[in-house]
Amino acid sequence: MNRATVLRKKLSAPGMLIAPGAYDGITAKLIEQAGFPLVYMTGAGTSASLGYPDYGLVTMTEMVANAELITRAVNIPLISDADTGYGNELNVTRTVREFESRGVAGIHIEDQVSPKRCGHLDNKEIEALEKYLSKIRAAVAARTNPDFLIIARTDCRASLGFDEAIRRGNASLEAGADMIFIEAPQTMEEVRAIPKQIKGPCLLNVVQGGKTPVVHLEDAEDMGYKIAILPGLLLRAAVQAFDQALDSVKTYHVAPDYLNNTSPQQNFKRFGADEWDAIRSKYALEDKG
Amino acid sequence: MERPTKKLRELLKKPELLKAPGVVDAIGARLVASAGFDAIYMTGAGTAASRLGWPDVGLLTMSEMVDNAQRIAEASGLPLIADADTGYGGPLNVRRTIQCYERAGVAAVHIEDQQWPKRCGHLEGKTLISAEQMATNIRAACDARVDADFMIIARTDAIAVEGFDRALERAKMYEEAGADMVFVEAPRTMEQLKAIPEALSVPSLFNMAASGKTPFLTASEIQNLGFKLVIYPNFVLLSAIPVMQRVLLELRAGGSIKDLASQATSFTDFFDLLGMDEVKALEARYSVDDKSRVGY
Repeated sequence: MNRATVLRKKLSAPGMLIAPGAYDGITAKLIEQAGFPLVYMTGAGTSASLGYPDYGLVTMTEMVANAELITRAVNIPLISDADTGYGNELNVTRTVREFESRGVAGIHIEDQVSPKRCGHLDNKEIEALEKYLSKIRAAVAARTNPDFLIIARTDCRASLGFDEAIRRGNASLEAGADMIFIEAPQTMEEVRAIPKQIKGPCLLNVVQGGKTPVVHLEDAEDMGYKIAILPGLLLRAAVQAFDQALDSVKTYHVAPDYLNNTSPQQNFKRFGADEWDAIRSKYALEDKG
Repeated sequence: MERPTKKLRELLKKPELLKAPGVVDAIGARLVASAGFDAIYMTGAGTAASRLGWPDVGLLTMSEMVDNAQRIAEASGLPLIADADTGYGGPLNVRRTIQCYERAGVAAVHIEDQQWPKRCGHLEGKTLISAEQMATNIRAACDARVDADFMIIARTDAIAVEGFDRALERAKMYEEAGADMVFVEAPRTMEQLKAIPEALSVPSLFNMAASGKTPFLTASEIQNLGFKLVIYPNFVLLSAIPVMQRVLLELRAGGSIKDLASQATSFTDFFDLLGMDEVKALEARYSVDDKSRVGY
Protein backbone atom coordinates (compact mmCIF):
# COMPACT_ATOMS: atom_id res chain seq x y z
CA MET A 1 0.00 0.00 0.00
CA ASN A 2 1.16 3.52 -0.78
CA ARG A 3 2.65 5.01 2.37
CA ALA A 4 0.53 8.15 2.11
CA THR A 5 -2.50 5.88 2.33
CA VAL A 6 -0.92 3.97 5.25
CA LEU A 7 -0.48 7.27 7.07
CA ARG A 8 -4.11 8.27 6.44
CA LYS A 9 -5.27 4.96 7.92
CA LYS A 10 -3.11 5.48 11.01
CA LEU A 11 -4.44 9.02 11.36
CA SER A 12 -8.05 7.89 11.12
CA ALA A 13 -7.59 5.78 14.27
CA PRO A 14 -7.99 7.57 17.61
CA GLY A 15 -4.88 8.88 19.33
CA MET A 16 -1.71 10.73 18.38
CA LEU A 17 1.24 9.56 16.26
CA ILE A 18 4.72 10.33 17.57
CA ALA A 19 7.33 11.03 14.88
CA PRO A 20 10.94 11.55 15.95
CA GLY A 21 13.05 13.43 13.45
CA ALA A 22 15.50 11.67 11.12
CA TYR A 23 18.15 13.26 8.97
CA ASP A 24 19.79 10.19 7.41
CA GLY A 25 19.50 6.43 6.98
CA ILE A 26 20.89 5.66 10.44
CA THR A 27 18.43 7.82 12.35
CA ALA A 28 15.55 6.64 10.14
CA LYS A 29 16.30 2.95 10.79
CA LEU A 30 16.67 3.48 14.54
CA ILE A 31 13.31 5.27 14.70
CA GLU A 32 11.60 2.41 12.89
CA GLN A 33 13.33 -0.23 15.04
CA ALA A 34 12.23 1.58 18.20
CA GLY A 35 8.67 0.96 17.03
CA PHE A 36 7.51 4.45 16.08
CA PRO A 37 4.67 4.49 13.53
CA LEU A 38 5.95 7.51 11.64
CA VAL A 39 9.25 9.21 10.84
CA TYR A 40 9.74 12.94 10.33
CA MET A 41 12.50 14.45 8.19
CA THR A 42 13.92 17.52 9.86
CA GLY A 43 15.13 20.40 7.68
CA ALA A 44 17.37 21.64 10.50
CA GLY A 45 18.90 18.16 10.82
CA THR A 46 19.27 17.80 7.04
CA SER A 47 21.03 21.18 6.92
CA ALA A 48 23.27 20.14 9.82
CA SER A 49 24.16 16.83 8.18
CA LEU A 50 25.27 18.82 5.13
CA GLY A 51 27.31 21.08 7.40
CA TYR A 52 25.00 24.12 7.43
CA PRO A 53 22.82 25.85 10.02
CA ASP A 54 19.07 25.95 9.33
CA TYR A 55 19.24 29.30 7.54
CA GLY A 56 17.51 28.38 4.28
CA LEU A 57 20.75 27.39 2.54
CA VAL A 58 19.71 23.90 1.52
CA THR A 59 17.99 23.49 -1.85
CA MET A 60 14.77 21.63 -2.62
CA THR A 61 16.87 19.12 -4.57
CA GLU A 62 18.94 18.32 -1.47
CA MET A 63 15.84 18.04 0.73
CA VAL A 64 14.14 15.69 -1.73
CA ALA A 65 17.28 13.56 -2.10
CA ASN A 66 17.49 13.17 1.67
CA ALA A 67 13.77 12.37 1.93
CA GLU A 68 14.16 9.69 -0.73
CA LEU A 69 17.10 8.17 1.12
CA ILE A 70 15.04 8.03 4.32
CA THR A 71 11.95 6.49 2.70
CA ARG A 72 14.20 3.83 1.18
CA ALA A 73 15.72 3.01 4.58
CA VAL A 74 12.40 2.31 6.33
CA ASN A 75 8.94 0.89 5.74
CA ILE A 76 6.99 3.33 7.90
CA PRO A 77 5.55 6.55 6.38
CA LEU A 78 7.64 9.71 6.26
CA ILE A 79 6.43 13.28 6.62
CA SER A 80 8.96 15.86 5.62
CA ASP A 81 9.80 19.47 6.15
CA ALA A 82 9.42 21.28 2.82
CA ASP A 83 10.27 24.76 4.12
CA THR A 84 8.41 27.47 2.16
CA GLY A 85 7.79 25.23 -0.85
CA TYR A 86 10.76 27.10 -2.38
CA GLY A 87 9.00 29.94 -4.19
CA ASN A 88 5.58 30.70 -5.61
CA GLU A 89 2.70 28.45 -6.67
CA LEU A 90 4.71 27.02 -9.58
CA ASN A 91 7.64 26.11 -7.33
CA VAL A 92 5.22 24.60 -4.80
CA THR A 93 3.69 22.50 -7.58
CA ARG A 94 7.10 21.12 -8.46
CA THR A 95 8.01 20.63 -4.79
CA VAL A 96 4.90 18.53 -4.10
CA ARG A 97 5.51 16.43 -7.22
CA GLU A 98 9.14 15.83 -6.29
CA PHE A 99 8.42 14.78 -2.69
CA GLU A 100 5.39 12.69 -3.63
CA SER A 101 7.21 10.84 -6.41
CA ARG A 102 9.93 9.82 -3.93
CA GLY A 103 7.41 7.98 -1.75
CA VAL A 104 7.04 10.65 0.94
CA ALA A 105 3.64 10.51 2.70
CA GLY A 106 3.25 14.22 3.41
CA ILE A 107 5.02 17.56 3.75
CA HIS A 108 4.62 20.80 5.64
CA ILE A 109 4.83 24.17 3.89
CA GLU A 110 5.20 27.39 5.85
CA ASP A 111 4.33 31.06 5.41
CA GLN A 112 7.83 32.50 5.87
CA VAL A 113 9.40 34.66 3.18
CA SER A 114 12.24 32.77 1.49
CA PRO A 115 15.08 32.31 2.46
CA LYS A 116 13.46 31.01 5.64
CA ARG A 117 14.96 30.27 9.00
CA CYS A 118 14.32 27.79 11.82
CA GLY A 119 10.89 28.44 13.37
CA HIS A 120 12.38 28.96 16.82
CA LEU A 121 14.80 31.69 15.73
CA ASP A 122 13.95 35.42 15.84
CA ASN A 123 13.20 37.92 13.03
CA LYS A 124 11.21 35.68 10.77
CA GLU A 125 9.53 37.47 7.83
CA ILE A 126 5.96 36.41 7.08
CA GLU A 127 4.21 36.18 3.73
CA ALA A 128 0.82 37.85 3.10
CA LEU A 129 -2.02 35.43 3.93
CA GLU A 130 -3.62 35.50 0.47
CA LYS A 131 -0.30 34.64 -1.16
CA TYR A 132 0.22 31.80 1.28
CA LEU A 133 -3.28 30.38 0.80
CA SER A 134 -2.74 30.40 -2.93
CA LYS A 135 0.36 28.25 -2.41
CA ILE A 136 -1.60 25.82 -0.21
CA ARG A 137 -4.22 25.53 -2.96
CA ALA A 138 -1.41 24.88 -5.46
CA ALA A 139 0.05 22.18 -3.21
CA VAL A 140 -3.32 20.44 -2.87
CA ALA A 141 -3.87 20.56 -6.63
CA ALA A 142 -0.38 19.22 -7.37
CA ARG A 143 -0.60 15.89 -5.52
CA THR A 144 -1.57 12.85 -7.57
CA ASN A 145 -2.61 10.71 -4.57
CA PRO A 146 -5.31 12.52 -2.56
CA ASP A 147 -3.91 10.77 0.55
CA PHE A 148 -0.61 12.72 0.29
CA LEU A 149 -0.78 14.91 3.40
CA ILE A 150 -0.47 18.68 2.99
CA ILE A 151 0.35 20.23 6.35
CA ALA A 152 0.06 24.04 6.51
CA ARG A 153 2.55 25.60 8.90
CA THR A 154 2.32 29.17 10.07
CA ASP A 155 5.30 30.95 11.59
CA CYS A 156 3.38 34.14 12.34
CA ARG A 157 2.96 33.67 16.13
CA ALA A 158 6.08 35.71 16.94
CA SER A 159 5.39 38.73 14.73
CA LEU A 160 1.60 38.80 14.26
CA GLY A 161 0.33 37.14 17.45
CA PHE A 162 -1.55 34.01 18.45
CA ASP A 163 -4.99 35.04 17.14
CA GLU A 164 -3.58 35.63 13.68
CA ALA A 165 -1.89 32.21 13.83
CA ILE A 166 -5.26 30.58 14.55
CA ARG A 167 -6.92 32.62 11.79
CA ARG A 168 -4.23 31.53 9.32
CA GLY A 169 -4.57 27.91 10.41
CA ASN A 170 -8.32 27.84 9.85
CA ALA A 171 -7.99 29.71 6.54
CA SER A 172 -5.45 27.10 5.41
CA LEU A 173 -7.92 24.31 6.20
CA GLU A 174 -10.49 26.06 4.03
CA ALA A 175 -7.87 26.28 1.26
CA GLY A 176 -7.56 22.50 1.39
CA ALA A 177 -4.77 21.77 3.88
CA ASP A 178 -5.17 18.44 5.69
CA MET A 179 -3.48 19.38 8.94
CA ILE A 180 -2.32 22.53 10.73
CA PHE A 181 1.05 23.18 12.31
CA ILE A 182 1.16 26.36 14.41
CA GLU A 183 4.87 26.91 14.90
CA ALA A 184 6.30 28.03 18.24
CA PRO A 185 3.30 28.75 20.50
CA GLN A 186 4.67 30.52 23.56
CA THR A 187 2.62 29.34 26.56
CA MET A 188 0.95 26.14 27.74
CA GLU A 189 -2.41 27.93 27.33
CA GLU A 190 -1.64 28.47 23.66
CA VAL A 191 -0.53 24.87 23.19
CA ARG A 192 -3.82 23.75 24.73
CA ALA A 193 -5.92 26.23 22.75
CA ILE A 194 -4.63 25.22 19.31
CA PRO A 195 -6.50 21.90 18.87
CA LYS A 196 -9.63 23.52 20.36
CA GLN A 197 -9.64 26.54 18.07
CA ILE A 198 -8.38 24.93 14.88
CA LYS A 199 -11.24 23.25 13.02
CA GLY A 200 -9.17 20.27 11.87
CA PRO A 201 -6.25 17.97 12.81
CA CYS A 202 -3.21 19.60 14.42
CA LEU A 203 0.50 18.85 14.58
CA LEU A 204 2.62 19.71 17.63
CA ASN A 205 6.30 20.54 17.22
CA VAL A 206 8.26 19.49 20.29
CA VAL A 207 11.49 21.47 20.35
CA GLN A 208 13.86 21.17 23.29
CA GLY A 209 15.00 24.60 24.47
CA GLY A 210 12.77 26.40 21.95
CA LYS A 211 10.01 28.97 22.42
CA THR A 212 7.31 26.43 23.29
CA PRO A 213 7.09 25.04 26.86
CA VAL A 214 7.88 21.33 27.16
CA VAL A 215 4.72 19.28 26.77
CA HIS A 216 4.42 15.69 27.93
CA LEU A 217 3.35 13.63 24.92
CA GLU A 218 0.46 11.98 26.80
CA ASP A 219 -0.84 15.45 27.62
CA ALA A 220 -0.46 16.49 23.97
CA GLU A 221 -2.56 13.49 22.96
CA ASP A 222 -5.21 14.42 25.55
CA MET A 223 -5.25 17.97 24.17
CA GLY A 224 -6.28 16.49 20.81
CA TYR A 225 -3.11 16.67 18.69
CA LYS A 226 -2.92 14.05 15.92
CA ILE A 227 0.84 14.13 15.31
CA ALA A 228 3.75 15.18 17.52
CA ILE A 229 7.11 15.63 15.82
CA LEU A 230 10.40 15.70 17.73
CA PRO A 231 12.72 17.09 15.05
CA GLY A 232 15.88 17.60 17.09
CA LEU A 233 15.66 14.59 19.41
CA LEU A 234 18.23 12.38 17.71
CA LEU A 235 20.49 15.11 16.36
CA ARG A 236 20.93 16.53 19.85
CA ALA A 237 21.39 13.10 21.40
CA ALA A 238 23.93 12.26 18.69
CA VAL A 239 25.88 15.47 19.15
CA GLN A 240 26.25 14.76 22.87
CA ALA A 241 27.24 11.15 22.31
CA PHE A 242 29.69 12.14 19.56
CA ASP A 243 31.29 14.82 21.73
CA GLN A 244 31.64 12.34 24.58
CA ALA A 245 33.27 9.69 22.40
CA LEU A 246 35.61 12.21 20.74
CA ASP A 247 36.53 13.66 24.09
CA SER A 248 37.40 10.24 25.43
CA VAL A 249 39.79 9.57 22.54
CA LYS A 250 41.35 12.99 22.84
CA THR A 251 41.80 12.82 26.60
CA TYR A 252 42.55 9.15 27.25
CA HIS A 253 43.79 8.09 23.78
CA VAL A 254 41.39 5.18 23.82
CA ALA A 255 37.80 4.70 22.69
CA PRO A 256 35.32 4.73 25.58
CA ASP A 257 34.84 1.33 27.17
CA TYR A 258 31.07 1.23 26.68
CA LEU A 259 31.59 0.98 22.92
CA ASN A 260 33.26 -2.42 23.34
CA ASN A 261 29.95 -4.04 24.27
CA THR A 262 28.87 -4.55 20.66
CA SER A 263 30.71 -6.27 17.84
CA PRO A 264 30.81 -4.78 14.33
CA GLN A 265 28.48 -7.60 13.20
CA GLN A 266 25.94 -6.69 15.90
CA ASN A 267 26.05 -3.13 14.65
CA PHE A 268 25.44 -4.23 11.05
CA LYS A 269 22.29 -6.00 12.24
CA ARG A 270 20.84 -2.62 13.05
CA PHE A 271 21.29 -1.62 9.42
CA GLY A 272 19.86 -4.56 7.55
CA ALA A 273 22.54 -7.29 7.82
CA ASP A 274 19.86 -10.01 8.22
CA GLU A 275 18.07 -8.97 5.06
CA TRP A 276 21.29 -8.92 3.04
CA ASP A 277 22.48 -12.20 4.58
CA ALA A 278 19.25 -13.80 3.41
CA ILE A 279 19.98 -12.62 -0.13
CA ARG A 280 23.49 -13.97 0.19
CA SER A 281 22.12 -17.39 1.21
CA LYS A 282 19.56 -17.39 -1.56
CA TYR A 283 22.31 -17.11 -4.17
CA ALA A 284 24.54 -19.49 -2.20
CA LEU A 285 27.33 -16.95 -1.95
CA GLU A 286 30.22 -17.76 0.30
CA ASP A 287 29.97 -16.01 3.67
CA LYS A 288 33.17 -14.11 4.20
CA GLY A 289 31.56 -11.65 6.60
CA MET B 1 46.03 22.16 -16.86
CA GLU B 2 45.54 25.89 -16.79
CA ARG B 3 42.78 27.05 -14.48
CA PRO B 4 39.68 27.92 -16.55
CA THR B 5 39.24 31.08 -14.47
CA LYS B 6 42.71 32.34 -15.43
CA LYS B 7 42.15 31.30 -19.05
CA LEU B 8 38.94 33.34 -19.21
CA ARG B 9 40.65 36.41 -17.73
CA GLU B 10 43.37 36.10 -20.40
CA LEU B 11 40.87 35.70 -23.23
CA LEU B 12 39.07 38.85 -22.08
CA LYS B 13 42.32 40.82 -22.18
CA LYS B 14 42.59 40.25 -25.94
CA PRO B 15 41.33 43.07 -28.14
CA GLU B 16 38.80 40.94 -29.99
CA LEU B 17 35.31 40.10 -28.76
CA LEU B 18 35.02 36.75 -26.94
CA LYS B 19 32.16 34.59 -28.23
CA ALA B 20 30.46 32.03 -26.00
CA PRO B 21 27.64 29.93 -27.48
CA GLY B 22 25.13 28.63 -24.94
CA VAL B 23 24.51 24.93 -24.38
CA VAL B 24 22.35 22.83 -22.10
CA ASP B 25 24.26 19.56 -21.85
CA ALA B 26 27.48 17.67 -22.47
CA ILE B 27 26.72 16.99 -26.15
CA GLY B 28 26.37 20.71 -26.75
CA ALA B 29 29.60 21.21 -24.81
CA ARG B 30 31.43 18.81 -27.15
CA LEU B 31 29.96 20.56 -30.22
CA VAL B 32 31.09 24.02 -29.09
CA ALA B 33 34.59 22.75 -28.31
CA SER B 34 34.92 20.94 -31.62
CA ALA B 35 33.70 24.02 -33.53
CA GLY B 36 36.75 25.83 -32.17
CA PHE B 37 35.24 28.34 -29.74
CA ASP B 38 37.43 29.56 -26.87
CA ALA B 39 34.64 29.87 -24.30
CA ILE B 40 31.21 28.41 -23.60
CA TYR B 41 28.02 29.55 -21.85
CA MET B 42 25.42 27.59 -19.86
CA THR B 43 21.91 28.92 -20.36
CA GLY B 44 19.45 28.72 -17.47
CA ALA B 45 16.45 28.83 -19.81
CA GLY B 46 17.90 25.97 -21.83
CA THR B 47 18.81 24.01 -18.70
CA ALA B 48 15.23 24.32 -17.44
CA ALA B 49 14.00 23.18 -20.85
CA SER B 50 16.42 20.28 -20.99
CA ARG B 51 16.03 19.01 -17.43
CA LEU B 52 12.36 19.72 -16.74
CA GLY B 53 10.78 20.41 -20.09
CA TRP B 54 9.42 23.62 -18.58
CA PRO B 55 9.87 27.32 -19.43
CA ASP B 56 12.41 29.46 -17.58
CA VAL B 57 10.28 30.67 -14.67
CA GLY B 58 12.54 29.90 -11.72
CA LEU B 59 11.76 26.23 -11.19
CA LEU B 60 15.27 24.82 -11.18
CA THR B 61 17.25 24.67 -7.95
CA MET B 62 20.84 25.80 -7.46
CA SER B 63 21.80 22.12 -7.05
CA GLU B 64 20.44 21.26 -10.50
CA MET B 65 22.13 24.24 -12.14
CA VAL B 66 25.51 23.45 -10.57
CA ASP B 67 25.21 19.79 -11.51
CA ASN B 68 24.57 20.77 -15.14
CA ALA B 69 27.39 23.33 -15.13
CA GLN B 70 29.86 20.75 -13.84
CA ARG B 71 29.00 18.39 -16.71
CA ILE B 72 29.35 21.15 -19.32
CA ALA B 73 32.64 22.45 -17.90
CA GLU B 74 34.05 18.94 -17.88
CA ALA B 75 32.84 17.86 -21.33
CA SER B 76 33.87 21.08 -23.08
CA GLY B 77 37.24 21.67 -21.41
CA LEU B 78 36.53 25.37 -22.07
CA PRO B 79 36.15 28.26 -19.64
CA LEU B 80 32.46 28.20 -18.77
CA ILE B 81 30.35 31.26 -18.07
CA ALA B 82 27.26 29.98 -16.26
CA ASP B 83 23.86 31.43 -15.52
CA ALA B 84 23.34 31.50 -11.73
CA ASP B 85 19.94 33.24 -11.81
CA THR B 86 19.44 35.38 -8.69
CA GLY B 87 22.08 33.57 -6.66
CA TYR B 88 19.06 31.80 -5.08
CA GLY B 89 18.33 34.03 -2.10
CA GLY B 90 20.03 36.56 0.14
CA PRO B 91 23.76 37.07 0.68
CA LEU B 92 24.09 33.80 2.60
CA ASN B 93 22.57 31.83 -0.25
CA VAL B 94 24.69 33.75 -2.75
CA ARG B 95 27.78 32.79 -0.78
CA ARG B 96 26.93 29.10 -0.98
CA THR B 97 25.98 29.43 -4.66
CA ILE B 98 29.37 30.89 -5.56
CA GLN B 99 31.19 28.22 -3.56
CA CYS B 100 29.27 25.46 -5.36
CA TYR B 101 29.76 26.89 -8.87
CA GLU B 102 33.44 27.52 -8.25
CA ARG B 103 34.00 23.97 -7.02
CA ALA B 104 32.17 22.70 -10.12
CA GLY B 105 34.94 24.11 -12.30
CA VAL B 106 33.01 27.10 -13.65
CA ALA B 107 35.04 30.21 -14.66
CA ALA B 108 32.35 32.89 -14.27
CA VAL B 109 28.73 33.27 -13.21
CA HIS B 110 26.15 35.96 -13.67
CA ILE B 111 23.72 36.81 -10.91
CA GLU B 112 20.78 39.15 -11.40
CA ASP B 113 18.59 41.56 -9.46
CA GLN B 114 15.25 39.80 -9.99
CA GLN B 115 13.01 38.58 -7.17
CA TRP B 116 12.83 34.82 -6.73
CA PRO B 117 11.24 32.99 -8.48
CA LYS B 118 12.86 34.74 -11.44
CA ARG B 119 11.96 34.41 -15.10
CA CYS B 120 13.75 34.65 -18.42
CA GLY B 121 15.04 38.22 -18.88
CA HIS B 122 13.16 38.54 -22.16
CA LEU B 123 9.77 37.60 -20.66
CA GLU B 124 7.32 40.14 -19.22
CA GLY B 125 6.26 40.50 -15.58
CA LYS B 126 9.65 40.67 -13.89
CA THR B 127 9.98 42.09 -10.35
CA LEU B 128 13.23 43.33 -8.82
CA ILE B 129 14.98 43.35 -5.49
CA SER B 130 16.32 46.75 -4.41
CA ALA B 131 19.61 47.96 -5.86
CA GLU B 132 21.06 47.98 -2.32
CA GLN B 133 20.10 44.35 -1.72
CA MET B 134 21.66 43.42 -5.05
CA ALA B 135 24.86 45.33 -4.26
CA THR B 136 25.05 43.36 -1.01
CA ASN B 137 24.63 40.12 -2.97
CA ILE B 138 27.45 41.17 -5.29
CA ARG B 139 29.73 41.88 -2.33
CA ALA B 140 28.83 38.50 -0.83
CA ALA B 141 29.60 36.84 -4.17
CA CYS B 142 33.00 38.50 -4.45
CA ASP B 143 33.86 37.57 -0.86
CA ALA B 144 32.82 33.96 -1.40
CA ARG B 145 35.21 33.06 -4.21
CA VAL B 146 38.42 31.28 -3.32
CA ASP B 147 40.12 31.81 -6.70
CA ALA B 148 40.43 35.57 -7.27
CA ASP B 149 40.18 34.95 -11.04
CA PHE B 150 36.66 33.53 -10.70
CA MET B 151 34.50 36.20 -12.34
CA ILE B 152 31.34 37.68 -10.87
CA ILE B 153 29.12 39.15 -13.58
CA ALA B 154 26.34 41.40 -12.27
CA ARG B 155 23.19 41.33 -14.36
CA THR B 156 20.43 43.88 -14.09
CA ASP B 157 16.94 43.17 -15.37
CA ALA B 158 15.84 46.74 -14.64
CA ILE B 159 15.25 48.09 -18.18
CA ALA B 160 11.82 46.43 -18.45
CA VAL B 161 10.83 47.39 -14.89
CA GLU B 162 12.39 50.78 -14.08
CA GLY B 163 13.61 52.06 -17.45
CA PHE B 164 16.99 52.35 -19.09
CA ASP B 165 18.44 55.21 -17.01
CA ARG B 166 17.72 53.44 -13.75
CA ALA B 167 19.16 50.20 -15.19
CA LEU B 168 22.39 52.02 -15.96
CA GLU B 169 22.47 53.46 -12.42
CA ARG B 170 22.04 49.98 -11.02
CA ALA B 171 24.81 48.69 -13.28
CA LYS B 172 27.17 51.34 -11.93
CA MET B 173 26.25 50.46 -8.34
CA TYR B 174 27.00 46.81 -8.99
CA GLU B 175 30.32 47.73 -10.56
CA GLU B 176 31.17 49.69 -7.42
CA ALA B 177 30.14 46.72 -5.28
CA GLY B 178 32.91 44.73 -6.95
CA ALA B 179 31.44 43.06 -10.05
CA ASP B 180 34.08 42.09 -12.62
CA MET B 181 31.70 42.53 -15.54
CA VAL B 182 28.23 43.94 -16.05
CA PHE B 183 25.34 42.45 -18.00
CA VAL B 184 22.47 44.85 -18.72
CA GLU B 185 19.67 42.53 -19.81
CA ALA B 186 17.44 43.14 -22.83
CA PRO B 187 18.47 46.56 -24.19
CA ARG B 188 16.15 47.53 -27.04
CA THR B 189 17.87 50.19 -29.16
CA MET B 190 21.29 50.96 -30.64
CA GLU B 191 21.41 54.10 -28.46
CA GLN B 192 21.02 51.97 -25.34
CA LEU B 193 23.58 49.45 -26.58
CA LYS B 194 26.09 52.20 -27.23
CA ALA B 195 25.53 53.80 -23.83
CA ILE B 196 26.19 50.64 -21.77
CA PRO B 197 29.94 50.05 -22.37
CA GLU B 198 30.51 53.82 -22.38
CA ALA B 199 29.02 54.25 -18.93
CA LEU B 200 31.00 51.47 -17.27
CA SER B 201 34.64 50.95 -16.49
CA VAL B 202 34.45 47.17 -16.16
CA PRO B 203 33.82 45.09 -19.32
CA SER B 204 30.27 44.59 -20.57
CA LEU B 205 28.50 41.43 -21.66
CA PHE B 206 26.22 41.40 -24.70
CA ASN B 207 23.34 38.93 -24.64
CA MET B 208 22.51 38.07 -28.25
CA ALA B 209 19.11 36.65 -27.33
CA ALA B 210 16.76 35.20 -29.90
CA SER B 211 13.69 37.02 -28.54
CA GLY B 212 14.10 39.98 -30.90
CA LYS B 213 13.95 42.58 -28.11
CA THR B 214 17.65 43.30 -28.56
CA PRO B 215 18.63 44.11 -32.18
CA PHE B 216 20.30 41.26 -34.05
CA LEU B 217 23.93 42.27 -34.59
CA THR B 218 27.06 40.68 -36.04
CA ALA B 219 30.08 39.98 -33.87
CA SER B 220 32.00 42.91 -35.34
CA GLU B 221 29.07 45.28 -34.72
CA ILE B 222 28.95 44.07 -31.10
CA GLN B 223 32.70 44.51 -30.76
CA ASN B 224 32.57 48.02 -32.23
CA LEU B 225 30.00 49.01 -29.60
CA GLY B 226 32.63 48.20 -26.98
CA PHE B 227 31.40 44.89 -25.57
CA LYS B 228 34.01 42.32 -24.49
CA LEU B 229 31.92 39.15 -24.35
CA VAL B 230 28.90 37.96 -26.32
CA ILE B 231 26.71 35.02 -25.32
CA TYR B 232 24.28 33.25 -27.67
CA PRO B 233 22.24 31.51 -24.96
CA ASN B 234 19.72 29.34 -26.78
CA PHE B 235 20.41 29.81 -30.45
CA VAL B 236 22.03 26.41 -31.07
CA LEU B 237 19.17 24.64 -29.32
CA LEU B 238 16.51 26.68 -31.14
CA SER B 239 18.18 25.89 -34.46
CA ALA B 240 18.11 22.16 -33.75
CA ILE B 241 14.41 22.04 -32.85
CA PRO B 242 12.94 22.34 -36.41
CA VAL B 243 15.30 19.61 -37.61
CA MET B 244 14.22 17.27 -34.81
CA GLN B 245 10.56 18.10 -35.45
CA ARG B 246 10.90 17.35 -39.16
CA VAL B 247 12.57 14.00 -38.47
CA LEU B 248 9.90 13.07 -35.92
CA LEU B 249 7.14 13.86 -38.41
CA GLU B 250 8.77 11.68 -41.04
CA LEU B 251 9.19 8.81 -38.56
CA ARG B 252 5.57 9.13 -37.49
CA ALA B 253 4.53 8.93 -41.12
CA GLY B 254 6.33 5.59 -41.23
CA GLY B 255 9.34 6.54 -43.32
CA SER B 256 12.61 4.64 -43.19
CA ILE B 257 15.62 6.21 -41.54
CA LYS B 258 17.42 5.24 -44.75
CA ASP B 259 15.93 8.30 -46.41
CA LEU B 260 16.93 10.53 -43.51
CA ALA B 261 20.33 9.09 -42.70
CA SER B 262 22.22 11.10 -45.28
CA GLN B 263 21.22 14.32 -43.49
CA ALA B 264 21.97 13.03 -40.01
CA THR B 265 25.32 12.79 -38.24
CA SER B 266 26.74 9.34 -38.90
CA PHE B 267 27.04 6.80 -36.11
CA THR B 268 30.84 6.98 -36.24
CA ASP B 269 30.98 10.79 -36.40
CA PHE B 270 28.74 10.84 -33.34
CA PHE B 271 31.14 8.74 -31.26
CA ASP B 272 34.12 10.61 -32.66
CA LEU B 273 32.52 13.86 -31.49
CA LEU B 274 32.20 12.38 -28.00
CA GLY B 275 35.90 11.60 -27.76
CA MET B 276 36.44 8.16 -29.26
CA ASP B 277 40.07 9.17 -29.87
CA GLU B 278 40.55 9.68 -26.15
CA VAL B 279 39.08 6.26 -25.42
CA LYS B 280 41.43 4.63 -27.95
CA ALA B 281 44.44 6.45 -26.57
CA LEU B 282 43.60 5.28 -23.05
CA GLU B 283 43.20 1.68 -24.21
CA ALA B 284 46.62 1.86 -25.87
CA ARG B 285 48.15 3.40 -22.79
CA TYR B 286 46.82 0.67 -20.49
CA SER B 287 47.67 -2.07 -23.02
CA VAL B 288 44.14 -3.36 -23.41
CA ASP B 289 44.51 -6.45 -25.57
CA ASP B 290 43.63 -6.04 -29.25
CA LYS B 291 40.54 -8.27 -29.18
CA SER B 292 38.82 -6.20 -26.48
CA ARG B 293 39.60 -2.80 -27.89
CA VAL B 294 36.66 -0.67 -28.90
CA GLY B 295 36.17 -0.13 -32.62
CA TYR B 296 33.67 0.56 -35.34
